Amino acid sequence: MRTFLLSLALLISAVAAAQVPSVTVENAKGETINTKSLLAEGTPMIVSFWSTSCKPCIRELDAIYDALPDWLEEVEFRVVAVSTDDSRLLAKAKSFAEGRGWGEDYTLLFDKNQDFMRAMNVSVVPHVFVIDGKGKIVYSHTSYVPGNELELFEAVKKCAK
Amino acid sequence: MKRAFLVIGLAVSALSLSAQEKGYLTGSFETNDHVYVADEKNRFEPDDDRFGTNNYLKLDYYNGNFSAGLQLEGYYPGLIGYPVELNKFALSNMYVNWKDEDFQITAGTFYDQFGSGLLFRSWEDRLLGLNNTLMGARFAYNWEDKIAFKALWGMPRLGMEFSDTQLRGADLSVSLSNIIGLDNIVLSLEGSVLNKFEKIGIDAQEAGGSPNSIGYSGRLNFDWNGLFVKGEYVDLGKKLVAMTPKRGNAQLVELGYNGRGIGVTVTGRRLEWMTQNISSKSLSTANLISYVPAMSTQYTYMLTTLHPYNPQLGDESTYMFNSGEIGGQVDAFYNFRRGTKIGGKRGMKVHANFSTYYTLAQEGSAKPGNLLFRDFSFDVEKQWTKEFKMVLLYSMQEYNPTYGNFKTTWLSNIVVADLLYKWTPTFSTRLELQYLATKEDKKDWMAALLEVNFAPHWSIWGSDMYNHGSTKMHYYNFGVSYTKGRTRLAAGYGRYKDGFICSGGVCRTIPQYTGANFSITTSF
Repeated sequence: MRTFLLSLALLISAVAAAQVPSVTVENAKGETINTKSLLAEGTPMIVSFWSTSCKPCIRELDAIYDALPDWLEEVEFRVVAVSTDDSRLLAKAKSFAEGRGWGEDYTLLFDKNQDFMRAMNVSVVPHVFVIDGKGKIVYSHTSYVPGNELELFEAVKKCAK
Repeated sequence: MKRAFLVIGLAVSALSLSAQEKGYLTGSFETNDHVYVADEKNRFEPDDDRFGTNNYLKLDYYNGNFSAGLQLEGYYPGLIGYPVELNKFALSNMYVNWKDEDFQITAGTFYDQFGSGLLFRSWEDRLLGLNNTLMGARFAYNWEDKIAFKALWGMPRLGMEFSDTQLRGADLSVSLSNIIGLDNIVLSLEGSVLNKFEKIGIDAQEAGGSPNSIGYSGRLNFDWNGLFVKGEYVDLGKKLVAMTPKRGNAQLVELGYNGRGIGVTVTGRRLEWMTQNISSKSLSTANLISYVPAMSTQYTYMLTTLHPYNPQLGDESTYMFNSGEIGGQVDAFYNFRRGTKIGGKRGMKVHANFSTYYTLAQEGSAKPGNLLFRDFSFDVEKQWTKEFKMVLLYSMQEYNPTYGNFKTTWLSNIVVADLLYKWTPTFSTRLELQYLATKEDKKDWMAALLEVNFAPHWSIWGSDMYNHGSTKMHYYNFGVSYTKGRTRLAAGYGRYKDGFICSGGVCRTIPQYTGANFSITTSF
């Protein structure tokens, strides 16, 4: 136990800000992609973990969708919606996202065995992250009630400065 | 246990010291605690403990391509309804991992799945108390975006320990469209093989069982401009069911179209003797290697979840013989855009689902027998004004209370109104009104929920589910939550009905209980 605590202390002394880890997920076509490829464009992004059975997640992504045209007038950024639905609901999640029009404005990712979710240490959805152009996590928030998107947008604006 | 700490501690500290660049540490913590209260009306008398607590601490360290981590779990004792083998403390996960663009190698615990998981899935679901992570090693290699290969070996976790069962598997995915260089088309062929080794007794050997079984699956994945087809064939190999050798097999097809505000998915699936457990001796909900979920709507409103569908994987006992199930579902989503006649100023979303499942009339056939489950649901979602949003849901559910043994089915009709009103940009209320009508079981139910939200931090709710058709019982629940950044605290009190907790497609039964609950989830 002592060795464990010692190595933990060593680790903490060598800690930098958390980043987007390298994990394999699916895109809307069922192709596998590496999450690191999200950073290629170099613009800030909102990464939102959701599932089809999570009502607050859907409310949050809808609220962002409605506000997006106004927000994009102020700042350049992207929205990545990561479905954590497993193979029971994976096909449904794809149809669901397209049926809401999210496919046109969001990058849709599907994390069917929750590898990305685990790597980002998301225990419960909804969980959003704001990630700067270099891949550094600058803001994150769990759960959603109407109005939380205002704080989220403030974080995006701050990060784009 | 000490040795495990030592090995991980040394490995992680050595690597962190030798690292050229600074790494980072991330993690999460979760505690769920209940205090149980005697409730004569709910026929609930708590144990002497009167308390249950499930706790999880997860830590991960990343440095470039390298990562390492662990998870600690503590149940002192576990919450009511969780698998009973979850007790006391375990270092449940520990791993070291290297991943660059092409290679990945993992030693220690890991999660993975082949295809849809019908042949093999290793995953964690804390709501179910399920964590069948593998302790062993895994190697994965990608040749550009054309070929992906992985091989793994490990012993699945069952309860607080790793079992003696050994799994060896390999998975290959070949993207024909990328090899040929086709644009706008995705076409891939995939296949997996899985060997399971579990020691068996002499009686099982004499009955034709073998400690080794070999299963495989073949898959096809096609997409052209949003039009998609997915197919999967699974053979679990030979195994014993009630001391008779059986061959587990499944066929799954998913097809549809997604794009331009439309999403349609059609699913068909046939299962036969598809139970594949870690241990033949355990009856735990978490004793799973194959992931065989219910392919139907996962409802979320209180009254719609009273009778969730549990798929029939094949069962033979003194009371029943049913080799599996066959059925399918259709899901359709449509978005009436803003500015259209029906969509109005803010658009309107509609969704319909139909699913139906039957027993297999004969072993080895695809002929449907007795109806197991059928449901139809329709929901419409409309943002009337900037402040007011409404969801209306209708659901018809018909299920077989004898799991297909007899023809009798029970039918219920459920309506739900979900009304959200934003009084100010940060103050909102949400009201749910629900009604369930049925001539069978406990007759009619009604339910209501009110949620008051003060963004960005507070939320308060209260709900009541009342069976006025028969038992005259109230199942009430009220609580409060506080969220700041990545941390959420919640406390509540309620009377809970016996039934099922379902997540993904797995359900665990929960007994009735009454009491207070408290939870913290945080990550860093």
